[in-house]
Amino acid sequence: MRIHRPNNPLTEIISLTGKRLNRRQFLKFQLKGALWLSVGVKGLALPAKLHANAIPDISVVKGKPGPATRLAVEQLGGMQTFVKPGDKVVIKPNMSFANGIVNATNTRPEVVRELVAMVKEAGAGRVRVLDNTLCQPEPSIADIKAACQVFNEDIVHALGDYDFYRNIKLNDKWFGFNKTDVMKDVLDADCLIAAPTAKSHHATGVSLSMKGMMGLVFDRWTMHQQGLDDAIVTLAALLKPKLVVVDVSRVLSTNGPRGPGKIIPMNTIVASADMVAADAKTVEICTWYGKRFKPRQIKHIRLAHEQGLGRMDVENLVLKETVL
Amino acid sequence: MTFQRVIQSLSLGIFLLALWRAPHALLGAWPADGSLRMDPMILLGTVVAGRKLAPFLWITGCILLLCMLLGRFFCAYLCPLGATIDGCDHFLRRQHDRSSPSPSLSCTGLRHLKYQLLIFILGAGILGVSFVFVAAPMALATRLYGLIIYPGLYFLADLGLTTLRPAADQLNLTAIAYAVVKAPRYDLQWLTFSMSLALLAGGVWTPRFWCRNLCPSGALLALFSRRPIVRRTVSQDCSNCGLCARKCPMGAIGMETEDAKSINPFRVNHAECIVCLTCVRVCPTHAVSFRAGKQSGIEKIGRQTPTISLDRRRVLGAGVSGSVAAILTLTGLKAPSSAAGPGNPVHPAVIRPPGAIPEKNFLARCVRCDACMQACPTNTLQPLGWQAGLSALYSPVVKPRRGPCAPDCTACGDVCPTGSLRPLHPEEKLKAKVGTARIFRQKCLAWEFDKKCLICDEVCPFDAIEFRKLPDMHIAVPFVNEKKCFGCGYCEYHCPVQAVPAIVVEPMQALRLSGGSYRTAAREMGYTLETKPKAGTSTDDIGPQDLPLFQLDEKGLPPGFTE
Repeated sequence: MRIHRPNNPLTEIISLTGKRLNRRQFLKFQLKGALWLSVGVKGLALPAKLHANAIPDISVVKGKPGPATRLAVEQLGGMQTFVKPGDKVVIKPNMSFANGIVNATNTRPEVVRELVAMVKEAGAGRVRVLDNTLCQPEPSIADIKAACQVFNEDIVHALGDYDFYRNIKLNDKWFGFNKTDVMKDVLDADCLIAAPTAKSHHATGVSLSMKGMMGLVFDRWTMHQQGLDDAIVTLAALLKPKLVVVDVSRVLSTNGPRGPGKIIPMNTIVASADMVAADAKTVEICTWYGKRFKPRQIKHIRLAHEQGLGRMDVENLVLKETVL
Repeated sequence: MTFQRVIQSLSLGIFLLALWRAPHALLGAWPADGSLRMDPMILLGTVVAGRKLAPFLWITGCILLLCMLLGRFFCAYLCPLGATIDGCDHFLRRQHDRSSPSPSLSCTGLRHLKYQLLIFILGAGILGVSFVFVAAPMALATRLYGLIIYPGLYFLADLGLTTLRPAADQLNLTAIAYAVVKAPRYDLQWLTFSMSLALLAGGVWTPRFWCRNLCPSGALLALFSRRPIVRRTVSQDCSNCGLCARKCPMGAIGMETEDAKSINPFRVNHAECIVCLTCVRVCPTHAVSFRAGKQSGIEKIGRQTPTISLDRRRVLGAGVSGSVAAILTLTGLKAPSSAAGPGNPVHPAVIRPPGAIPEKNFLARCVRCDACMQACPTNTLQPLGWQAGLSALYSPVVKPRRGPCAPDCTACGDVCPTGSLRPLHPEEKLKAKVGTARIFRQKCLAWEFDKKCLICDEVCPFDAIEFRKLPDMHIAVPFVNEKKCFGCGYCEYHCPVQAVPAIVVEPMQALRLSGGSYRTAAREMGYTLETKPKAGTSTDDIGPQDLPLFQLDEKGLPPGFTE
């Protein structure tokens, strides 16, 4: 798995000062330094993208779930940026609970339906909406399945049978989570899209796109044995979605993941190509247990950031916010 | 195909569909236990051992009355086990038939065994111990098909699907590619198989070995069809060829002595005749007919109709043995007891399904047809082995490690033919507590290993698990609220700890009512068994008074958040 590590300007400075500078190099160095200073101290550590008018890192849209989903993805360059014609696409919403829509434990069906529509418009081949449900499969996926009836295709499935999974090795050296079984559909897909719903989680603080990847493995129970936060990051390094669309139309602010808990209407969709950034932005904009928290206060988000899986320093990322 | 074969196949088909819980479109209003209700032995078990007048008494009453009119027709036309035995005999006896001139006449000396078995079961039943399950033909048939044949077919279907799946996936046939067969698995399969095999293997010696010699239901029906109104008569055209006697699957014709050589086609034991009409069909001179009314002249010429000798010694012997067996059961350490006080050891694995009546009555009434296990959608109901003694063999228990008991499901009570599992309204079922979960702290990931695991809480439909932050612990640890715990076993099923799980359901505090409302009983006990999460509240402001469901840690952080 390719892990993107941003160039650190500090290393550049050291390499420059290690040898004699000519005038041109010196001027360049001065100019860069001025630029970095203008970005701010935090920018020195991790640079933001400088072309602010281009595609943002995070797209936040306020509005009704369906249209907001569409606009949020369009602000990131449109679905064709992520899905090429003929691609096999897997959308992973949270549809693990048979609690009905009112309890805010599953992704809103409108969000999933809109995503499927956009993926199909981008010319995708095989589209699947998949989850390994916690509650009984049929009632859990019923709402999303009903919403996706419009496509006249059998795309929403809860995969509980071992035959749908394939054992794979995980890149983990430090705590023994070195293999797991992942849905074949996901391993064979060209594009994975995460569509979690915003909710709290007793063990991991929040359950968003990274935590949601546990719904693509067969035996997620053993992940608790290996240490949940670490295991989530290891899994996220393998199952890195190309696009994350977080359904923040409301947030299950307390007593997640199962509820019933305090549900706060947010009327928002957060999208990003960076799963850590999407999760971090969601943590930042929501109220959890009556308080505000920083993304770094969620251990698995912090670990993922430290591992270079994505960025939780959302204040340094380019954000585009729109109200519909 | 003869009339008898058509009816017999239909009856077997209905039985199999009902056992398979076929959708109503196929079966209409036919109840899942429709065939079971017709078995007189199941009725007798319920009435004698269970001390309860079964509501379907009239069905058996009708069948017994019909026996007095038509003879022992039940065995040839309605009994699914009889149909199975016929089919099996057909397969077993092909070559044998050629070598033996009159196989139907052998083994006549064992016929009294079925009466003895019947009296044995009655003798035990009078003392409140039911051995109906050992020999009731319907229970044997449901166990053979439900615990052996259906799981085998499911297994093969699963194998087939697995083989087809890659091809179906390529062709985008999602209906097949994503279809899943949840193959059920049952305990005691070797015992069930051996019992069934032994029963069917009798066909090697004579056709319908079981029906002639051992079936207690057959014995009861035989008692009512000793001289039916419509019965076999032979006209003067009889050429005395003896073909009817040789072909009779029950060996009911020409039983003068137990010597196979003396055949008299005029003589028939009506109690053994199952009215299959084979003799009418095979007779070369068309001399045989079944008709009502007076005896024909020929029958008068022949000597009296033979009967099975059932002397006082045998009757008494069987009855007393039954009672002795019952006493042995009741004096064992594992004697079934409904009392919950001291001195009554209960095996922790004996978690009865919801709606099970108090244990002693339950075992007396349950005929081990195992229809509940077939109906159970999660495969959690399993036949019990020897943990509660011989008298509890094959009785249903909840096995949470295999599957949880779904809160909204009432299938087991709906199909129980004897009312040992009460049919419950879904609201009542929610209160029919089957046990209580217990946490093994030494194995718990949170308690012992400092791992953030809360699966038991996550999966509990009754919200009975509470995570508390203890002062000297790093992370929140689970506690069971026994007032809220139903014993459904979702926690045990999902617990990631291998071998003995860290949370286990035990039959502690189970509600066992022979009558009355579970809602009332649960209220009286102070149980608050609720599954539906209250609809989420939706307001912007959140005050401390609104936050009873979680605890902040010593740093004032909610669960899962760090500094």
